[in-house]
Amino acid sequence: MHRFSATKRLLDLIGDLPVVSNLGPTTDELWHAGHRDRNFYTYGSMGLCSSIALGVALSTDDKVISLDGDGSLLMNMGAIATISRESPANLIVVVWDNEQWAQTGNQASHTAFGTDLARVAEGCGIEKTATVTDEEELESALMQALEQDGPWFIVAKIREEAESMPVAPNEPELTLHRFRASYGA
Amino acid sequence: MTSLMERDGYFHVVSATREEEALGIASGAYAAGRNAAVFMQSSGFGNCVNALASLCLPARVPIPMFINLRGEVGEFNIAQVAMGRSTRPILDTLGIQHYTLDTDDRLGLRVSGALKLCYASRQPLALCLTPMLHGGKLA
Repeated sequence: MHRFSATKRLLDLIGDLPVVSNLGPTTDELWHAGHRDRNFYTYGSMGLCSSIALGVALSTDDKVISLDGDGSLLMNMGAIATISRESPANLIVVVWDNEQWAQTGNQASHTAFGTDLARVAEGCGIEKTATVTDEEELESALMQALEQDGPWFIVAKIREEAESMPVAPNEPELTLHRFRASYGA
Repeated sequence: MTSLMERDGYFHVVSATREEEALGIASGAYAAGRNAAVFMQSSGFGNCVNALASLCLPARVPIPMFINLRGEVGEFNIAQVAMGRSTRPILDTLGIQHYTLDTDDRLGLRVSGALKLCYASRQPLALCLTPMLHGGKLA
């Protein structure tokens, strides 16, 4: 499974629901897959994608999707425990797991050596977890997560593509403004 | 302060595992139209620098940070001294406005004024609390 194609498929399923994207290719590909006001792109703040999504989830009744990465989440695994403690029924964490830090030179991450983030989530007390390896499985897990209370934690195993997408416009202030305006703030 | 807030239905208190995580959660809440403050001590501020520099400052997220300063008068732990004393210089380097609260003289005015400034300037802002205000942590 490739992230860009899977991201397009995800956007087709979620309508107007808010998405928070991890820095780097996840943000770039979300922009190219379908720029919308309810995309909260991050450009830095390593490890905080799902924490930001938790803050959104605690502030709205909408289902909220976090597009996180294995490398980033490994920097802030405590975020998973906080998600479990708060247990927002409307949060769906999707971890694009390429088993590497692709941004810094494709060094193998800990998920390439046995760390299973879905089991970490289970260990933190999150009951609704899934590990998916192709787009059909991802779509099926997402459909369930959109219909049933969470929090959901879906690890999507992906392979990096040879060519990366062009960098998305880097405009954090506009991103926040558009997202807030979509909530009437 | 947190136990007072937990008893007050106006607030939703979220316990984070790490201070920069709290800044992420607070930023997400603000993105969805709510306001959120972050409470920490100076040692935890050391965990926050990249979240402030790469999220709150460039996106202009107004988060009031209440930072309890260690390393001040009465400190008993040498390991708290350097981070406590570095907190305000690091805030200065980041260009983050901060005020030190060391007396309860006109405290309400100072805090409400700082909050108003934080939201008006759409930037994070720090209120640094010292042992002269609250008596400090006892060894």
